[in-house]
Amino acid sequence: MLDRPFDYIGQDLRSTFRPQREWAQRRGLLLIAAFFFSGIGAGGWLFSLFLSWPTGLVWSLATVVVASGAAHLAFLGRPERSWRVLLRPQTSWISRGVLGIVFFAVSGVLYLLTGAPAWADAGPGGRLLLTLSAFGAVWLLVYKGFVFAYAKGIPFWNTAMLPALFFVTGLRGGSALVLLLAVVAPEGPDLYPLEIAKLWVAVSFGALLAFYLWATSESCVAARRSVRELLGGRVSVAFYLGVLAVGLLLPLAWGAVGLFRAQPEWAWAVVSFSSLIGDFYATYAVSKAGVYRPLAGDFRVAPKTSQR
Amino acid sequence: MRYGMVIDLKRCVGCNACTVICKAENGTPPGILWARVLKLESGDYPARRVSLPVLCMHCQDPPCQKACPTGATVKRPDGIVYVDTAKCVGCRYCMMTCPFQARYFNDAVRGYFPGQGLTPYEVLKYQDHPAGVVTKCHFCKHRVDQGLQPACVANCMAKARYFGDLDDSNSEVSQIIRTRRGYQLHADLGTDPSVYYLPP
Ligand code: SF4
Ligand code: SF4
Repeated sequence: MLDRPFDYIGQDLRSTFRPQREWAQRRGLLLIAAFFFSGIGAGGWLFSLFLSWPTGLVWSLATVVVASGAAHLAFLGRPERSWRVLLRPQTSWISRGVLGIVFFAVSGVLYLLTGAPAWADAGPGGRLLLTLSAFGAVWLLVYKGFVFAYAKGIPFWNTAMLPALFFVTGLRGGSALVLLLAVVAPEGPDLYPLEIAKLWVAVSFGALLAFYLWATSESCVAARRSVRELLGGRVSVAFYLGVLAVGLLLPLAWGAVGLFRAQPEWAWAVVSFSSLIGDFYATYAVSKAGVYRPLAGDFRVAPKTSQR
Repeated sequence: MRYGMVIDLKRCVGCNACTVICKAENGTPPGILWARVLKLESGDYPARRVSLPVLCMHCQDPPCQKACPTGATVKRPDGIVYVDTAKCVGCRYCMMTCPFQARYFNDAVRGYFPGQGLTPYEVLKYQDHPAGVVTKCHFCKHRVDQGLQPACVANCMAKARYFGDLDDSNSEVSQIIRTRRGYQLHADLGTDPSVYYLPP
């Protein structure tokens, strides 16, 4: 049997569309998990702030710090040097993102220690911490989009739409997380505003995803190839089943029915869970569908004059 | 001073000697190709087969270096870009941001003869290839610092590769680029690669 690295040599010598592998396969799945947990945790924090619900705040913070932090560390090749990723915020989006996690965690913990008062009941200190933690959560929602968008060689990612897409994805996941917690917690908040918010965020996510796929497929041949990978290639099962069927259509259909007829609480738990699965697959699908601009493409368009 | 390379696509015969000599010189583990040769066919039937040798382009504005959160990717004053494996955390962000697909992640120590342990050669060479970090071509900086050419240049049997100072307008590489319409891959991305190609 061939050792695994040999399996990839064919892809590496191919002169056409080479897929990125390291952020989607094998240990790369841990990074997808890390992005997923930080997104739903940050989104959950914002929804819990909106509902002034301390249980939701605690679980959302734990999702970011514990689940996302552990997945980030497990992904790294040399986790014992992880402190080094804080060193270059002046140029690196990874540094900026990790600093954002630290900022969010510190402001979030301090806010919880003050008793997590609602805006109306909080003093100046509480309001400041609430605001800072909310900014931190928004930063966590968008920074992943900037991380991906900086990759010039992968045109499917190299677009200003990704921060917006990750923002909405995280909000949707956050609403699902809080809805799930509200169902299972003994004294959860009123579900109805959450259900409405979740429905709207899911509709926005669907619209943004459709626009993103359309716009990137119009941009260049490598981005079009990525869209093809999603719609009919390597990533199509994850896209149709995980992102669309389980992650979008099921929650949307159930949410629409729930507007007109009250649903049992377990049904909302199922819908939330399927939404969360969809969020994971959305991050996974966007990452895995990334292919590099073909190196050989330039060969045919050698300029007429010297470039020096 | 800015080291650069010119690859003559008219001379390259696609023999992959550069791929092999790079492995021999640098002892890269299985599946890691600092230098490789892509094959493509161009034009309508009868199509012309062309070989495109690729390696790290040692960009003057390297996106991999900007993306690196630890400072492990370093650009020397002479333009050579290399990875300081003692600082790399293995986040692989540089691999996503390198438009030339020049980087590889060495996830574990692997020999060329699975189940039989490492050969003495591998034991020696793998000191430069610790597990859990990203690696890439460094223009054979250990040779260049001794006044030698990179191994792929010195051993190209078709003499399709040239190496020298791009900042010196009288150097062989600068003159060839000027007179033979040398061009960079993905020049539109603005990374200013130090590897130039001569049209086939
Ligand atoms: S080719 Fe890639 S690895 Fe080499 S310097 Fe340019 S961006 Fe960095
Ligand atoms: S894998 Fe290493 S060299 Fe690459 S960006 Fe991360 S720390 Fe820098």
